[in-house]
Amino acid sequence: MPSASSALPRRAAIVGANRIPFARSNGAYARASNQDMLTAALDGLVARFGLAGERLGEVASGAVLKHSRDFNLTREAVLGSRLSAATPTYDLQQACGTSLQTTLQVANKIALGQIESGVASGVDTTSDAPIEVNDDLRRVLLAANRATSTAGVLKALGGLRPGQVVPEIPANREPRTGMAMGEHAAQTAAAWGISRTAQDEITVASHRNLAAAYERGFFDDLLTPFLGVTRDDNLRADSTLEGLAKLRPVFKPAGYSDTEATMTAANSTPLTDGAATVLLASDEWAAERHLPVLAHFVDAETAAVDYVHGDEGLLMAPTYAVPRLLERNGLTLQDFDFYEFHEAFASTILATFAAWEDPIFCKERLGLDEPLGSFDRSKLNVAGSSLATGHPFAATGARIVPTLAKLLHEKSAQEGSDTVRGLISICAAGGQGVVAILEV
Amino acid sequence: MTPTETLDAAPTLGVLYGRALLTARSGGTTLPDRRLELAGVRIDADAVADYDHVCGFSVGGVVPPTYPHMLAFPLQMRLMTDREFPLPAPGMVHLRNVITQARPPEVGEPLRVAVHADRLAAHPKGAQVDLVTAVTDADGAEIWGSRSTYFVRGAPAPAGADDVPAAPREPDPRVGRLPHAIWKVPGDIGRRYAAVSGDVNPIHVNGLAARAFGMPGMIAHGMWTKASALAALAGRHGPAFTVDVVFKAPVRAPSTVYFHTAAVDGGWDAELVSPKGRDHLLLTLREA
Repeated sequence: MPSASSALPRRAAIVGANRIPFARSNGAYARASNQDMLTAALDGLVARFGLAGERLGEVASGAVLKHSRDFNLTREAVLGSRLSAATPTYDLQQACGTSLQTTLQVANKIALGQIESGVASGVDTTSDAPIEVNDDLRRVLLAANRATSTAGVLKALGGLRPGQVVPEIPANREPRTGMAMGEHAAQTAAAWGISRTAQDEITVASHRNLAAAYERGFFDDLLTPFLGVTRDDNLRADSTLEGLAKLRPVFKPAGYSDTEATMTAANSTPLTDGAATVLLASDEWAAERHLPVLAHFVDAETAAVDYVHGDEGLLMAPTYAVPRLLERNGLTLQDFDFYEFHEAFASTILATFAAWEDPIFCKERLGLDEPLGSFDRSKLNVAGSSLATGHPFAATGARIVPTLAKLLHEKSAQEGSDTVRGLISICAAGGQGVVAILEV
Repeated sequence: MTPTETLDAAPTLGVLYGRALLTARSGGTTLPDRRLELAGVRIDADAVADYDHVCGFSVGGVVPPTYPHMLAFPLQMRLMTDREFPLPAPGMVHLRNVITQARPPEVGEPLRVAVHADRLAAHPKGAQVDLVTAVTDADGAEIWGSRSTYFVRGAPAPAGADDVPAAPREPDPRVGRLPHAIWKVPGDIGRRYAAVSGDVNPIHVNGLAARAFGMPGMIAHGMWTKASALAALAGRHGPAFTVDVVFKAPVRAPSTVYFHTAAVDGGWDAELVSPKGRDHLLLTLREA
């Protein structure tokens, strides 16, 4: 069946990747900045693929928590890396969707022939976070800065009060709703009746799958140690349902009774530091350098929902993005060999699956005559996902893309020439979501 | 015809409150038959920016629909702090506010603001009165009007209160069970709102004074809660509408309150409730 994406001149190849292990907030990477981590991840990529001195088409990266001095974060990282200083860069930010969106940008430019190669990446630190003075103090200081005379400066500073010097530390909170992301997710979980046990099962599977992937050396060519860390330090290989059942819920669903609180510190992702990069290129560029092609980037869709007044869950945008992507590509939800769903919270992906199985939701919200249905859950996050790796917001997409590309490549190599296909889904703050299809 | 008295400049509210607290009132039983007016009023961009910061509106957007209340309130207070006014101003509680806007006023355009008192009536626990405001533009068109109902606990029922025509039905918003937003009302919101509105009513800025007036503690200004609700709906409605609000239980500062909204035919319904479900504010917005 012809698809819109096949109208593209060519498909971008995913050549390979490098990331640093992810580390829990205020731990191993507490003293590393976004620029430090991104530079390390880039230099690992350069070393792996022999890119020293190479001028790439572009490097696209971004961070969610960013210091104002880091306006050119990616450019500074590239200038400090072994890539050619003639490699252009830009920063992009789409919350947790950042580095799937940078992948989409780089892949599209390659598909259009505007560039031959590029790096998509993302980085975040919640340890070395920018601390802001509170709004009162900020306005007083800005007024003092605008003053043109000493008297004016003193007059502006005279407006200071002791309470104003309390700093503001960035919070994972939606400005328009005042609710933490976990509180939003808790409402969605309660609305869909997602059970605690189902969430804990997703969590245990994520840890076990990630541990198994490390054991079989899956990440050996996807990761470079950083500051003495060799594996994602959030990984709990011995995680059990019994152990998780003892944890207390941490997010209360506003509007529901507290007994409906099911989300714990284990079945929610922890604050994490880390950086991840993916190398994309045209097939020709890769062939010239004798580099492998793991998979191709087929198509992507970005959606947004009105979680402010529109009665849709904050993290439910992928629920809308996937059916649009499937329709454009003539595929069904069942047509994939692997499903890589970012586990912001175990309840989030379970609510998404429940919505796709619900005929009323699919009819009324998605405009579908038939529900999308269910899929084989044994194909879900088979090498672990965010609950186990942790989730440095902007780096997660660039962790997932190569993970899926390598899984597809392995399966294709084992089974011969049939098309092997995978689906990626990432929800993001602000009620947005990015989803994509990769193929071998 | 009600005589109109035109002022040269807006009265200073702190002075009016002070006068109200210190001056013996004659305690008249009927409303003064007079209209106060201020002509050539121009909305100041910096004052609107200060107001935007406190209430959550975007700086540089349209003038907030609650902003003209800032122009009217000093005139209302001037009327209510006169010796012959039948109800005392300090400790007065805002019960209801209905705003009808034909178009948003522009920063800098010459406006005429006129205020008079209306509908002095008995209340189960005291007495209430309406203050009516009309804002007209240079062409004489009324672009903005409001009716604020104020209540004084324990005030004697005025003479002839039974003759007062009934107020229109109170708004009856229909919203869902789940809050759309959780507001953390800051402890200093009374002081902040007083700084931009000039409304230094002691129940908003001093805990002891608030208790003296029968409040549980310092409470947020009702018009701040209404303004914040409208700020949350900014961009979701057109320029001409009526927004009707009843203020139920006062919102304490600090406190946490839940905000519910629902898109309805022709506008919006919204409620501000406590986490335990006690109503604070009921709002309907209907487009013209």
